[in-house]
Amino acid sequence: MIRKHHADLTILFSTLGLMALGLIIIYAIGPMRANVLNNAYGTDYASNYFFIGQLRSVVLSLVAFFLAFKVIPYKYLKKYAKPFMLVALALSVLLWLLSMAGSSLAKCELGECRWFNLGIVSFQPAELIKLALVVYLADFITRKQQNGELGKWQEFWLPLIVICGASLFLVVIAQGDLGTGVALIAIIFGMLLASGIPAKQYLIMLALVIAIAVGSVVTSTHRMERVNAWLDTLQGAEVTDSTYHIENAMLAIGTGGLFGVGIGNSVQATGYLPESINDSVFAIMGETFGFVGLFLVLIVFAAMLIRMLKVADHTPDFESHLYIVGVFSWALAQVVVNIAAMTGLVPVTGITLPLLSYGGTSMIFIAFAIGLVCQLSCYTSREVTTNHENISSRRRVGGTHHASRRRSA
Amino acid sequence: MPRNSQSSIKQSSAQSTHSRIKILQNVVLITFAIIVVRLFFIQIIEHNAWVAKAEEQHTLLETITARRGEIYMMDKGEPVPVVLNQTAYQIIIDPTVTKREPIEQALKTYAEPYIAVNFDDIYQQEGLRYAIVAKNVPRELAEKIASEDIGAVWFKKNNQRVYSEGQLASGLLGFVNADGVGQYGVEGSLNHILSGKDGLLKTTSDVNNVALSIGKDNTKIPAEDGENVVLSIDRGLEKGVERITAEAISHTAATNASVLIMNPNTGEILTMANLPNYDPANYANVTDASVYNNYTLDVPYEPASICKNFAFSAAINEGVMTPDTTFFNKHYEEVDDWKIWNAEQRSSLYGTLTMKDALYWSLNTGSIYALKLLGGNPNSINQQGREKLFDYYYNKFRLGQPTGVELAEAEGFIPDPNEGWGRDSTYANLTFGQNLSITMLQTATAFSAVVNGGTWRTPSVIKGYYEDGKVIPKDALHGRVASSEGPPREVLAGEETTTEPVENSTSAGPVEDKILTDETSASMRSMLINNREYLVRGGIDRPGYDIGGKSGTAQVVRNGAYDDSFAELIGSYIGFIAPSGEMPQYVIMTKMWGEGQSIGSGDAMNLFNSLSNYLIDYYKIKPNQ
Repeated sequence: MIRKHHADLTILFSTLGLMALGLIIIYAIGPMRANVLNNAYGTDYASNYFFIGQLRSVVLSLVAFFLAFKVIPYKYLKKYAKPFMLVALALSVLLWLLSMAGSSLAKCELGECRWFNLGIVSFQPAELIKLALVVYLADFITRKQQNGELGKWQEFWLPLIVICGASLFLVVIAQGDLGTGVALIAIIFGMLLASGIPAKQYLIMLALVIAIAVGSVVTSTHRMERVNAWLDTLQGAEVTDSTYHIENAMLAIGTGGLFGVGIGNSVQATGYLPESINDSVFAIMGETFGFVGLFLVLIVFAAMLIRMLKVADHTPDFESHLYIVGVFSWALAQVVVNIAAMTGLVPVTGITLPLLSYGGTSMIFIAFAIGLVCQLSCYTSREVTTNHENISSRRRVGGTHHASRRRSA
Repeated sequence: MPRNSQSSIKQSSAQSTHSRIKILQNVVLITFAIIVVRLFFIQIIEHNAWVAKAEEQHTLLETITARRGEIYMMDKGEPVPVVLNQTAYQIIIDPTVTKREPIEQALKTYAEPYIAVNFDDIYQQEGLRYAIVAKNVPRELAEKIASEDIGAVWFKKNNQRVYSEGQLASGLLGFVNADGVGQYGVEGSLNHILSGKDGLLKTTSDVNNVALSIGKDNTKIPAEDGENVVLSIDRGLEKGVERITAEAISHTAATNASVLIMNPNTGEILTMANLPNYDPANYANVTDASVYNNYTLDVPYEPASICKNFAFSAAINEGVMTPDTTFFNKHYEEVDDWKIWNAEQRSSLYGTLTMKDALYWSLNTGSIYALKLLGGNPNSINQQGREKLFDYYYNKFRLGQPTGVELAEAEGFIPDPNEGWGRDSTYANLTFGQNLSITMLQTATAFSAVVNGGTWRTPSVIKGYYEDGKVIPKDALHGRVASSEGPPREVLAGEETTTEPVENSTSAGPVEDKILTDETSASMRSMLINNREYLVRGGIDRPGYDIGGKSGTAQVVRNGAYDDSFAELIGSYIGFIAPSGEMPQYVIMTKMWGEGQSIGSGDAMNLFNSLSNYLIDYYKIKPNQ
């Protein structure tokens, strides 16, 4: 057996560092946000309302992170992969039904019902679906691989399409959450890539999903509007209601320059930039910390992601390997899609920046997911695992050691 | 790689696990590289463009409104405010956010008369995010509404002009339009002094235009408040004069009347009344914009026989005539094949008369004789006579020229003595006040010179500034008034307007010009007193006072010719008041007219009589026995 060694410190500290940074940013711009909402909607948020909220989320996320890291063994979790997935789907179905019934338990914003309203807290089941899908797919693919059913239509593809289709339907159609949909697709295709299915099948499936996605965009005026807004912004057209968000995100980033305007000096956060504390927090960071600051943030994200791949690469257990790739895909998708939207590279989809954006559920779940990666990083082998086919028989007994940065470089 | 069998899948899977991780690693590196390049492009290369855009979006330029100067009149030697400022509020809501019930209820409770909208309309308009629901709400009411604490309600401060004396002297005072710019009268003419200079607040602001402390280019240029202007107008006298004049209008066919009262020895204007008045606080409610005119100086006209004073003064001052100079009156005079008739045709006047008689009976033949004497030929009008008369009218009495008073005034017109057709008949007409156009103020100022000992003085309606409880004399003010640019001002064409009012350009300051000898002035005074001798006998003029005067009845020019049907006449009267044997202290000029109405000088004289007696009482002028 592989001896337990200490966890991957890069992942651990980048996670904690990003949470701290998010807390600082919300501390700086939370009062402005409160002021904007109070003025526009006559609400009565205290100036530290958002900071307190973020602090609460960070504390809960740290609990989730350390539970996943130190307390809950991954093997327990994978044992319950299937019921976990079913519960996640059931909760989204329940939310959907509640929202259609007009229940006050379903919390809706701008016509999209994505949250359970539980009194003082709200809960977004789509975040649960992301985690459940990663855990479930890792388990599913491993089983299929062990049975030699990988890539087979009836045994592999059909159940996969059913479970993934159901997840996507509930998230994208029922909850209208395109951002989470993009993350789910990234998770599915990231894990499929790591599963070792034939490249041809993989590419066909990828092409098929892209075709469906494009089809759903061009047939929906609402989604086309976003794409057109994005194209307009690229062409430097006049600011309209639909291009306002991208335009102001880029304006925030652009005014940051090399070193930024400094903490507390963001003007865009005083109401010009929509979603300044959640989806657009990257743009506010660009204004505050400038190119140098964003570059460092990107380095931290890149280091965390690359280290996740490294841990995956050195994880002898195939299911753990898949799980890590799933979490990696999840984080990568959110980081890239969020930042690309803020910089005008892709249309705005409404997706949070992991660990930095204001918001409880999304941070808690990704913290938990990364916590599990940290747990798994304690069980890596020195050598790259090239073949997970007969993992049990080939598991090396000797030669395990700490996959520390010091020695594996 | 060919993979067509089950085993090859497994094999490829075995080989590819690591290489696929490599693919994902490359995905990370490539996407992050693209993002970094993109950020470099936005933050470094396009930085200045975004900063410029941000400045445009974030910078709030807010005008700090200067406090408009107040206007004072004099009362018993003390300045009293007649035009004040009051802070009022506009109430603005965002109908998509502001709840209708509470705001509508609050407005109806506290500020019903100020509601500016129909709530049904604004709440039915989709997407409306800005609506001014009430205007000119006084501070205390606005505060009550604010204390209701209704969400998304804004209060915008604006200054409102308050005319504490209501309609008093509205033609003189003018009004302030919705843009805060003074129009007509003192408000218009002295707008540049009253308005002060607005300041500017340049600041970075949030999305709701609330100024932020963020930003380095925040600047504040404080406002310079406007000056408080003290008019030389006597408030009590103005009130009394307006009351008496309004009564006079109601007793005659006249619809309009103007009264000008000034001190002939200083040029100080004490009354400028134009009836009917209007309410400057609700200036838009008038049906006819001509009521905005200050007829005493905006609108030139023909004061007619009043001008005989100027022709007689010229001849006496040139030494070619005395009050006792005689001429032969045959009721008419033929000039340029044109018969000019006297208005007074009684047969007893046929024959040899003195110039004193000619003035008493207002004989045109007499004033034409004065013109002949000016030319040195008692038998006909010549070039020398015309040039002399022009010299007196235009250069000495400054008729047809702006007087230099501190307000915008009309210029008027005196025809050239040598150019054009029919000069002799034109100049014959000039002697009895036709064929020219001059303002009441020009007439009264020239008349003041006739009676005050012969000195022409720039008239003045402004005493000075009111600052810290005292009046700073107008000498300090004069240069500023004259040299500043004129106000933007639209002139309404009155019936008699022949010339556009012009801004005075007497940058040299007030003029004091001795144009007549003391003797000429004394002769004129005695003739003018003689004119009213029958009024003393009739008990209208009280004993112990020297009151002299002269009437004028002007025919109205219709389509370029005098209307000989006399269907419309403008009556004027001018006179002075002094205790017996003393120099005149007050000059009063009255003018009464009405569209299509034949208002003789009798009505204007009756008004003068009432006013001269009122003035004696008002100033408690003691008679000399």
